[in-house]
Amino acid sequence: MAHRWGMAVDLDRCTGCEACVTACRAENNVPTVGAAQAATGRAIHWMRVERYWEGEFPDARLKFRPVLCQQCDAAPCEPVCPTYASHHTEEGLNAQVYNRCIGTRYCANACPYNVRFFNFFNPIWDKPLHLQLNPDVSIREVGVMEKCTFCVQRISAAEIQAKADNTPITDGDLKPACVQSCPATALVFGDLNDSESAVSRLSRSSRGSKLLGDLGTQPKVTYLARQSQA
Amino acid sequence: MDRRAFIKVTAITGTSATLANCGNPEHQLIRFVPDEERVPGVAEWKPGLCPLCSAGCGLLVRVMEGDAEVLRGGQTGVMKMGLAKKLEGNPAHPISQGKLCARGQAAIQLTYHPDRIAHPLKRTGARGSGQFQEVSWDVALAELVTQLDGLAAAGNRQSLAFMTGPSTGQRGELVSQFLSRFGAPPALSYEAFGDEVLRRANLMSFGRSQLPTLDLPRTRYVISFGADFLGTWNSPVAQSAGYGHMRQGRSGVRATFVQLESRMSQTGANADEWIPVRPGTEGVVALGLAHVLLASGLRPANAAGRAGAVIDGWSSGLSAYTPAEVERRTGVVAARIERLARELADQRPGVAVIGGAPLAHTNGLAAALAVNALNALLGSVGEPGGVNFMPQIARPGDTTRSRGDQPPTLARMTADILAADRSPVQALLIDDANPVFTAPPAWRVREALVKVPFMASFGSFIDETSVLADLILPDHSFLESWTDARPESGAAVAVATLAPPAMRPLHQTRAMPDVLLEVAGRLAQPLSPALPWQTFDEMLRAAFAALPAPAPDADAWSSAQQQGGWWGAPAGNGLQIVPVGLAAPLKLADPQFDGAVAEYPFHFLPYPSQAFLDGRLAHLPWLQELPDVMSTAMWSSWVEINPQTAARLRIAEGDIVEVASTQGSLRAPALVSPGVAPDVIAMPAGQGHETFTRYASGRGQNPMKILAPLTEPETGALAWAATRVRLSRVGGPTGELILFAGGMAEHPNVRR
Amino acid sequence: MTGDTPDRRISDDLLRPLLTTSARFYVLVAFLGAIVAAGLVTWIFQMYQGFGVTGIRWPIFWAFYVTNFVFWIGISHAGTLISAILRLVNARWRRPVTRCAEAITVFALMIGAMFPIIHLGRPWLFFWLVPYPNQRGIWPNFRSPLVWDFFAISTYLTGSVLFLLLPMIPDLALVRDRTTGTRSRIYGVLALGWQGTTKQWHRLESAMQIMAIAILPVAVSVHTIVSFDFSMAPVPMWHSTIFGPYFVAGAIFSGLAALIVAMAFLRRLLHLEEYLHPVHFQNLGKLLLLMSLLWAYFLFAERLTVWYGNEAAEMAVFEATQRGSFAPLYWTMVVCNFVIPFPILALKKLRTIAGCVFASCSVLIGMWLERFLIIVPSLGHKYLPYSWGTYRPRPVEIMITISTFAAMALLYVLFAKFVPIISIWELKVGMHPPHPVSAEESEEAQQLWRTQP
Ligand SMILES: Nc1nc2c(c(=O)[nH]1)N[C@H]1C(S)=C(S)[C@@H](COP(=O)(O)OP(=O)(O)OC[C@H]3O[C@@H](n4cnc5c(=O)[nH]c(N)nc54)[C@H](O)[C@@H]3O)O[C@H]1N2
Ligand SMILES: Nc1nc2c(c(=O)[nH]1)N[C@H]1C(S)=C(S)[C@@H](COP(=O)(O)OP(=O)(O)OC[C@H]3O[C@@H](n4cnc5c(=O)[nH]c(N)nc54)[C@H](O)[C@@H]3O)O[C@H]1N2
Ligand code: SF4
Ligand code: SF4
Ligand code: SF4
Ligand code: SF4
Ligand code: SF4
Ligand SMILES: [Mo]
Repeated sequence: MAHRWGMAVDLDRCTGCEACVTACRAENNVPTVGAAQAATGRAIHWMRVERYWEGEFPDARLKFRPVLCQQCDAAPCEPVCPTYASHHTEEGLNAQVYNRCIGTRYCANACPYNVRFFNFFNPIWDKPLHLQLNPDVSIREVGVMEKCTFCVQRISAAEIQAKADNTPITDGDLKPACVQSCPATALVFGDLNDSESAVSRLSRSSRGSKLLGDLGTQPKVTYLARQSQA
Repeated sequence: MDRRAFIKVTAITGTSATLANCGNPEHQLIRFVPDEERVPGVAEWKPGLCPLCSAGCGLLVRVMEGDAEVLRGGQTGVMKMGLAKKLEGNPAHPISQGKLCARGQAAIQLTYHPDRIAHPLKRTGARGSGQFQEVSWDVALAELVTQLDGLAAAGNRQSLAFMTGPSTGQRGELVSQFLSRFGAPPALSYEAFGDEVLRRANLMSFGRSQLPTLDLPRTRYVISFGADFLGTWNSPVAQSAGYGHMRQGRSGVRATFVQLESRMSQTGANADEWIPVRPGTEGVVALGLAHVLLASGLRPANAAGRAGAVIDGWSSGLSAYTPAEVERRTGVVAARIERLARELADQRPGVAVIGGAPLAHTNGLAAALAVNALNALLGSVGEPGGVNFMPQIARPGDTTRSRGDQPPTLARMTADILAADRSPVQALLIDDANPVFTAPPAWRVREALVKVPFMASFGSFIDETSVLADLILPDHSFLESWTDARPESGAAVAVATLAPPAMRPLHQTRAMPDVLLEVAGRLAQPLSPALPWQTFDEMLRAAFAALPAPAPDADAWSSAQQQGGWWGAPAGNGLQIVPVGLAAPLKLADPQFDGAVAEYPFHFLPYPSQAFLDGRLAHLPWLQELPDVMSTAMWSSWVEINPQTAARLRIAEGDIVEVASTQGSLRAPALVSPGVAPDVIAMPAGQGHETFTRYASGRGQNPMKILAPLTEPETGALAWAATRVRLSRVGGPTGELILFAGGMAEHPNVRR
Repeated sequence: MTGDTPDRRISDDLLRPLLTTSARFYVLVAFLGAIVAAGLVTWIFQMYQGFGVTGIRWPIFWAFYVTNFVFWIGISHAGTLISAILRLVNARWRRPVTRCAEAITVFALMIGAMFPIIHLGRPWLFFWLVPYPNQRGIWPNFRSPLVWDFFAISTYLTGSVLFLLLPMIPDLALVRDRTTGTRSRIYGVLALGWQGTTKQWHRLESAMQIMAIAILPVAVSVHTIVSFDFSMAPVPMWHSTIFGPYFVAGAIFSGLAALIVAMAFLRRLLHLEEYLHPVHFQNLGKLLLLMSLLWAYFLFAERLTVWYGNEAAEMAVFEATQRGSFAPLYWTMVVCNFVIPFPILALKKLRTIAGCVFASCSVLIGMWLERFLIIVPSLGHKYLPYSWGTYRPRPVEIMITISTFAAMALLYVLFAKFVPIISIWELKVGMHPPHPVSAEESEEAQQLWRTQP
């Protein structure tokens, strides 16, 4: 039962509410860096909602686009990593082995999507905020690169459970934090190897395309175009 | 690699590696475990209730064991206890449907906030000095009881005032029962961005003093007048869920969405058609649409019924609202009015919704009535895909909502206090409200509160209001106590959310309802009749026991504790409301503005921040560092200026500008935005706290502090969109504006 | 033969710096040493505080440090490559130049090789880049250009150290014979028992020939591989086939400039006017002119194709450098690398020593800017404009950068202090044609030798 986890992002559903952004922070112990550091470009957002303006007032338009690690099948961030800290798992996830990362930041340069973030200092949680930290997710020390893991801790938990009860993981039961919180169900997660899974069906949609697809990174995230008659 | 460098590095290696790793245990990196040996943490999921807004989303709280440093009986020690780790929506809950908004995700930081008040405080310094001393609960409660007994003894019971947040559950019910039995006036609830105007309009049009529930999943056309229904207004999670479905949930059917407003909101950004309107003229557009529908006989005139009858000139076909006339008054092209009207008539079911700024004008009530009438005309009221009213559970002696009578307003209370030389309010209890921060300066709330002899707060944080208190009786966090809510909108069935404590208290705090009950018990002259409960959960048990059992074998109380609440059809046919009539149909007047056009050429449009709402959430670091989705700003406040206006006044992004009204002025960084009209200056509320924890204090600016005190006459609600301002550049960038994004456009260098 | 032969004067002049020490020397060493120490402290501060004390930010994860890395590796091409070429073509004027050049290579490499470590987030783990046998059976990722760098640089460093040491042997022997006591003994060890026998001369000559040939492909490959650090990543205007040769050309360009500056500096400091003649500068100047033209050609070829291709992401970078926020730096680079050096080096009457030095300094500035402009604008303008950013250096990286220039000067001064900076024997042999070395010549060479006490 080899899985190939993937995601579909329906831009016609996405409202730009950013629940996904906070959900990811809460689930994955993503540190806040504070105003001073944020001002110097050190803020960390594994998930971000890009917004692009088009046209001028009164015909101004806005587009939202949630961007997370695309879990590329041909991930430019992997071959460049000298220590295998950025590596491909059997399931095709782009895993980040924090304890192997020595902080060359080469992967982040190679990533065309700029979804890799660097720990410029040791993260701080003013006590007792640290009591909220998710024990299933490691905390990254200074000098280490981090990024969206597709909530791998949820994936492995589900897989371990499935193995224990030896029942397959039913489509839709396993959700990364962002997907689970998304009020508009703009994010759909599942197994691309299961051709009937919701994510597989959406990925085949005529509205579907890959972000920067022509770079040949073969992302496992599919974007469904926003429909609009205006 | 030469030897000297090698030795240098290895020498440093030892020390720095030790410093990096041993220093703080939580920085140990995860250890290698073969997959089969990796054991995920054991989690327990408990029901919860999001306390951050009146939408009342049901939660599931992920609880795992951990070591907490807690204070017990005077000394601190490390205690193994269940700790809340993550909040998710409760999939069984009819409103949240398993989802949460960005704010709800951050609610957990309320519990673990480093600046939470951990024990009762008694004021030592001057009022507002922020000097308090720690006292025991016995001392604190005794103090409060003495004060109340004092009022009773002096036969001055009606001089007790209670200020609450928007509480829809038994918590609010307890407060009002306490007050009525004590002999004090009903609680005063003030929200800067409250919806009193819309409730009143709905009461007049439909006999329901209640916010509407939009049936988005089944609608085919949404026309919204300034309602930020995907962001901050009404029931955002439920509405977003419905929105997703209305866009892509039905094969072959995709609803159209049109937004009219004078500053593009996050909701407006999603519209198929975004139409800027002159501030305060939204109602005119609504009546213009109605005119076309009536004139062209697309809808029968009588379809509007009562909702139409309350509009002046409806019977005569709204002759004053011809498309040409509407274009002149609103700036929306006549042809567009006609097209929209036709689309409304063709693409049914459709729904019109109004919220936010359009209601915050002196003519807000009339504007709301106009949109109500449009809905009625379209036959959308109470219909699938239209606007509905969520069934409400009748409450014996319900005093807080749904009656026509007007509760006391903040403006009136402060005026009375400042007028009299002996304050008519002798004791003030404050729960979950910060009027000093959100009220316009002219109401002089701070001055008034300082004049109140005794003031106690149940707040968990020192904010601009609680800092004035003589006594602070810190409440539990929502995860540490019994909570409940009975939301007025967001679902098709009646909902009573219930959540037992998900974890034990971290600090020396007590649940405010329990404190109230204990005080009631300790009073020299007990309340009459006495409150029949010892603790809050008893009250909740009684309230839920009264609800119909979900199943023959289960009782509502215990099943509610498990699934996180009760929902279904209320007994009887729910809450019956006596509609209040109007003497004469209401005329849609032109909006009044404060400040002469010549001197104050710009409309000033504050709006609830997507992260902080009116500012009550500015203390949560996750929300401070959440890039505002439109501006991408973090840890900042800013002033939104149209590009032409900016160019004309030589204002560049990040420059410090001064915004001045008749009430005062503020200085904040400029953000050049194509989504705001050239004659409008928009600014998010939420920042600019003087004292509100380490994360929010002294950060940014508060737009409320330059608002004029204009109100909507019928309800007395603040007309927060009715202030005019002037704008000037006062300096270059100071780095106050912290943006996450680099670029504005996706294809910046496509040569056109 | 008696008394003051020219050969003897050569030895005296060139050994003077070793045997007599002026106060100026100590002042200079102290000054440079202080700057280097400051840089070291700054680096320790950076490791202790965290990498955040630099100006590095999302999404510009490489800036000053990698710029310095590429710059210094480039400088290192002065020596070995140039002197190898000159040896192979047997340019007679090379004789006073080669050692200065080879020394530059070794020191520039040592400094350049520091930066991949300085720029690490966790430098204390730098050895994970190194393939070493270990318990966990863990090796670095051989697909990573950073690991290629490790091999390339270590090979080049080994090679150029040998290349520097080999021709030093006879001179070290000379110093051994000219000094007494411990010093004599130390040089004795370094001289590896050189006696100047025919056999030894033959060995030396053939070893030199082999090294000269072997070092060339290494040198070329090193900077090609450095260029791969960029061209292997799908970053706008990095992912380019021209980078290999472009970087090598740039390297030789900046290397030559460094050599000219170094020579002039020594000529002044050590009064070597008699040995470093204007003609030497003239010739190096001509080479520099050639490289300047070559560099301009590469720049033109690269920019033209990008502009003509008009691919959105690349154009964003193009605009930013050509017209946007980086334009001032960009055009400064063009001026420094071409507009200034070209006329100076092209016109014979301007191609004086002063002229060459001026041109060279300009080129050094220009080439540092070139490295910076290759790295930063691209990272700041990748494919998704939302994630664009700008970079400002902070005192930390500025201080460390400055200190590496001081380190270079310091190493050089010390080297010149302990080793004849001009190859004495080669100079002498140069004065005794014919070449290639015949049995007689080496016999004659031994004659010279013995005449010296
Ligand atoms: N900075 C940094 N810190 C890390 C890591 C990282 O990658 N970087 N990795 C983390 C991880 S994942 C791990 S597993 C740990 C590993 O860190 P450790 O648990 O310390 O394991 P090692 O450092 O591999 O080996 C520990 C010592 O055991 C010695 N040793 C080897 N064989 C034997 C034996 O048979 N008997 C005994 N008594 N000793 C033996 C080794 O020589 C070494 O000195 O470090 C963790 N900490
Ligand atoms: N080339 C090379 N390979 C090595 C080593 C090396 O030094 N070099 N070191 C070996 C050693 S000592 C170790 S410890 C291992 C470490 O490497 P791994 O054990 O493979 O990776 P880890 O970071 O330890 O995490 C284990 C798994 O957890 C996933 N994971 C990543 N982040 C999280 C998280 O936040 N939560 C959860 N639950 N899972 C997460 C990773 O994708 C990985 O699948 O690598 C081993 N393999
Ligand atoms: S949570 Fe969903 S709807 Fe909201 S921004 Fe993220 S993806 Fe879009
Ligand atoms: S998106 Fe970037 S980080 Fe993620 S796999 Fe692709 S290249 Fe690597
Ligand atoms: S930063 Fe870490 S993960 Fe990225 S390439 Fe360098 S070592 Fe690998
Ligand atoms: S999948 Fe998980 S890690 Fe990735 S963005 Fe979503 S929540 Fe964050
Ligand atoms: S809408 Fe958001 S803030 Fe309001 S209750 Fe729901 S989750 Fe909480
Ligand atoms: Mo490990």
